[in-house]
Amino acid sequence: MDRLVEDAVDLLRVAGLSRRYGATVALKHVDITIRAGEVHAILGENGAGKSTLVKILSGVVQPNEGQMLLDGAPHTPRSIFDARNCGVSTAFQELSLIPHMTVAENLLLPNVSRGWVWPERKRSILARAGEIMADWEIVDIAPESLVEDLPLAQRQRIEITRALSHARGLLVLDEPTAALPDTRWLFRQIRRLTGLGVAVMYISHRLSEVREICQQATILRNGTTIETVRLAGVDDAGIFAMMVGHAPSDPTARTVDSTASGAVLLTARDLCVGAVQGLNLDLRAGEIVGVAALEGQGQQDLFRVLGGVTRRDSGQIAVGGVEADLGSPGKAQRTGPGIAFVPEERKTDGIFENLTAASNIVMADFAAGGGGWFVNGQIERRRAGTSAARVALAPRYLDFEVGNLSGGNQQKVLLARALMSGAKILVLFDPARGVDVGTKQSIYAMMRDFVKSGGTILFYSSELSELVHLSSRCLVMYDGRIVADLPGPILSEETLLAAAHGPQGMKEAS
Amino acid sequence: MTDAIRGRDRAPRKTPLISIRYIADSAFLIVVIYALMAVIYVAVQPSALSAYSIESLLNNSLPLMLAAAGATFVILQGGFDLSVAGTISLVNVTIAINPHDGPGGALWVLGISLAIGITVGAINGFIVAYLRIQSIAATLATMIIGQGAALIILKAPGGSVSDFMVYGLTGSVVDRLPFALVIALCVMAFWTVYSRTDAGRNLMAVGQDRKAAALSGINVRRTEFLAFVWAGAFYALAAYMLAAQTSTGNPAAGTPFLLLTFAAVALGGTAFGGGRGGVTASLFGAATLMLMQKVLFSLGVSSFYTGVIQGLIMIAAVLFASAVNHAARPKGHG
Amino acid sequence: MMSSDTGTPERSARTEDTRTSQRISPTVVTVATIYGLVLVMILASRLISPSFGGLSQLETILYLSSFLVFCAFGQGLVILVRGLDLSVASVITVGGVLSASLMDGSNTGLLHVIPTILLACALIGIVNGIGVTVFNMPPFIMTMASGIIVYSLCLGFTGGTPRGFPAPAMNDFMQARVFGIPSPIWLLVVFAALGTLVQSFSSFGRKLTAVGNNPEAAYVAGLPARRLIIAVYGISAACAGFTGILLASYANGATLRMGDDYLLPSIAAVVVGGSSILGGRGTFLGTVGGAMLLTTLSTILSALGIGQGWKTIMEGGVILLALILLRNQVFDGLRALVMRKD
Repeated sequence: MDRLVEDAVDLLRVAGLSRRYGATVALKHVDITIRAGEVHAILGENGAGKSTLVKILSGVVQPNEGQMLLDGAPHTPRSIFDARNCGVSTAFQELSLIPHMTVAENLLLPNVSRGWVWPERKRSILARAGEIMADWEIVDIAPESLVEDLPLAQRQRIEITRALSHARGLLVLDEPTAALPDTRWLFRQIRRLTGLGVAVMYISHRLSEVREICQQATILRNGTTIETVRLAGVDDAGIFAMMVGHAPSDPTARTVDSTASGAVLLTARDLCVGAVQGLNLDLRAGEIVGVAALEGQGQQDLFRVLGGVTRRDSGQIAVGGVEADLGSPGKAQRTGPGIAFVPEERKTDGIFENLTAASNIVMADFAAGGGGWFVNGQIERRRAGTSAARVALAPRYLDFEVGNLSGGNQQKVLLARALMSGAKILVLFDPARGVDVGTKQSIYAMMRDFVKSGGTILFYSSELSELVHLSSRCLVMYDGRIVADLPGPILSEETLLAAAHGPQGMKEAS
Repeated sequence: MTDAIRGRDRAPRKTPLISIRYIADSAFLIVVIYALMAVIYVAVQPSALSAYSIESLLNNSLPLMLAAAGATFVILQGGFDLSVAGTISLVNVTIAINPHDGPGGALWVLGISLAIGITVGAINGFIVAYLRIQSIAATLATMIIGQGAALIILKAPGGSVSDFMVYGLTGSVVDRLPFALVIALCVMAFWTVYSRTDAGRNLMAVGQDRKAAALSGINVRRTEFLAFVWAGAFYALAAYMLAAQTSTGNPAAGTPFLLLTFAAVALGGTAFGGGRGGVTASLFGAATLMLMQKVLFSLGVSSFYTGVIQGLIMIAAVLFASAVNHAARPKGHG
Repeated sequence: MMSSDTGTPERSARTEDTRTSQRISPTVVTVATIYGLVLVMILASRLISPSFGGLSQLETILYLSSFLVFCAFGQGLVILVRGLDLSVASVITVGGVLSASLMDGSNTGLLHVIPTILLACALIGIVNGIGVTVFNMPPFIMTMASGIIVYSLCLGFTGGTPRGFPAPAMNDFMQARVFGIPSPIWLLVVFAALGTLVQSFSSFGRKLTAVGNNPEAAYVAGLPARRLIIAVYGISAACAGFTGILLASYANGATLRMGDDYLLPSIAAVVVGGSSILGGRGTFLGTVGGAMLLTTLSTILSALGIGQGWKTIMEGGVILLALILLRNQVFDGLRALVMRKD
């Protein structure tokens, strides 16, 4: 098992690291020490500074203050290449793979072709990449396949493998298991490296994983080091308290019960689109319906078709009892009681960065053709006020350019916009993803209020605990179908996880 | 052993030799279009196959081909380069006021031309890559400055070009093998090698996803900078061959190249984002454009309305290429 | 085990937005700077010669820049939605050629002819828009190709030499003065006001900004992105046609290359005026200022007797300078200067 060698040398020592972006302080006097052969977790909410820390270690940005010592020598990388030469390699959270290039090329970037003047032969490149993959136990991906053809899980493994192959001193893994079905392969490779004395910085919000592979953890909050702890000696509540700064709110607050007797607002029958095959679904007023699923089970396709973003291949969708053809999100908003969709990627699919928060929210009105003749900031602020209040978005943020707001506030803006559309059906894909705890609570409160006043919500979350606490009932998707419909009272993370693994999983669990 | 239950694990697509993807990515389409057009031309104009005809056609097409080749470097990494017009004008007038006789003189003039082109390219590269100004706006400015500089050097068409250049460079190496063709083939060979080097790959990578390229360790700024430098060098070459062809200098020599260059690149299929197309495709795109004019003329289309046909063919070609691209796209995931 | 500063317990642990709101928006700063520069240039030219920099020169500048402003409005909207309209030159020619031949020197039917011309031009724009949205053609290619086609049609239609004259009333209009100020300048003022209203203070303008800012998000938000973009290209072409009509009225005739001097300057005016060439950001007032800046520069340089070559270089230089100064980093820096802490 993992043992911390007490007399191991300090591989990485970070002291007083600070980084500002204009007026925003991303990191403030961060101190971290990692020993050789140790797996050290970095814990913290979004906005705590983890990604900035990763960027500084990897040479993507330079710190304003502080110093880093790698194996005793100053570590001041000016680029990724630089950092790699010093022995620091990183697997980034947002994958850094080039889509229209082969796996082999991606693995070997930026030095793909080995010759001096004359380029290396393709076969030779593929062979070298194949060796690397075999070395790190990847046997199911062909080196000549294009990255864009691979599912997310395989892409993540390639991203990680590239970092593994360059790891000589410090390996930085930023949310490496986000798309992986399980941790066994990754942890095997990590243990191999730590056996050789490589230090690993492991960033993840999945505490159970962290406890399994890490020995120590440094908790960041608001850009500062709060504490470094030995994981064996702290419980989850304690960690939570350090991350957040206060004790967790009562996690047993539940939503309205699952016997929602409200009218059926949305129905899907035999729905087929993308990975979804013959799916049936009913959404009633007054209930929050959660969707649990492993990566790539068709949940994205389902949500996007219900939101009107994509067209269904076959099957029927009825909104407010009337069969409907949701040709576009705009149309979906205007059909019957109305469907408002909030996508997963707020940055790329959601917000208008250069417009104010108020403009973003009122865009719902504009989309519906309303909005009147004359528009200015004041008018928008006034109109956005009610919706903003429902998501607890502080009024002073309404004048900010949305691009300048934190992720949590951006998410609130998007939800306020959905509310403003007047739709009675909310389709939310991971609404609380990457959002700080305070905002999560506001979002949950909004969701509960929404269904109490007669709306219905269908939401997907990758956080099982969220599903357990919020859902009136929870659907489980597997292989494009709904394989379970679990009522609220019996929901637990274990049952959800088991069901999410499909019929096999459920059998194993019973 | 593969990982345990993980939902649907898609097997990666095999890439056979000739597949939709290959067609979309390479110069295949434009070569076919060019071949078709050549067939039509020969059918309508039997004298097209004469040595003189071929030589003349290639000489006329070479400047645009070289300009399109240069512009491709910039477009591949996701930018635009409007300065092609200014650079060509500038180099053209510089050549015209500096005639040097004989092969040695021609070499000297070539050196000067390349120096100018590379300098302009370096300036562009610096402004775009290091000052982080959008390429279309920045090169608009440098194009205007280049045009102005050309006007200062030569106020009106005039000057002269050495005989060696005018007669030697526009001739044939052996019968039916025009010097222009040799140059074009060299450029193609150059690209085939270059695209396989790291520099070429980095270019494609940056064009596809700049952020991912940076995180993969590619020096994005240097890659962008180099693209503009290569472009400038090729523009200079284009102006050099243009001077050899027109045997005179013209401060507005570059103006027609502005739109035509990008039409040629788009026709070749490179305008669809990084990773697709390449210099070879652009060469053929330019050749097709020039050939199109000849075909239309031979078909008796009134010179007034050739523009209509050209525009329509351009649109059709780009639509077709886009359709092929669409067919080659990977399917989504759940 | 290390323990360090556990952080001051001041405010809640929630991640607060530490960026503060702008007191003065950067767009206001930009626009003010541009107009300031125009003023400075005009006054500075006074130093060179007392016959410069007077009201009459200001009048000339406003008059001349009006043409550029009209077509730059449409170009600005197209750029705002991440497009580009390279057919402006050809459509200006269409407007001029049609004015000359349809009006044919008489005032009759003027009220029908002008809307007809504008509609015809708008149709060209709509075709552009359809090509860009429905067929996913890159705007550069689509508008370039349509420009070539349209120009060629003009060439064929006129047989190489445009014939006819615009209506005398139009010529009179261009020469008339209202309260001592030439009518085109009044037109400019009205146009600038309306254009600013549309672009910055209407739901249409907001929708366009959204589409340019993030087309995918616009779709998800339910905006009819396609229709908006098609409309914008239509508007751009109509503006270009409008410019052509006025130009022909001013010169009392049309030439085939009359639009050439306006294509690149229309883009330059938009860019110098502070709009992002990538779309999603920009004001029409800035574009007007940009057009005036470029026209002022050109007029003063001409009056100084500077040769075409140096003139061109300086114009390019000004554009480059504007680009460098208008980068986002400079914005942030300016903002940092006028910020206040909450």
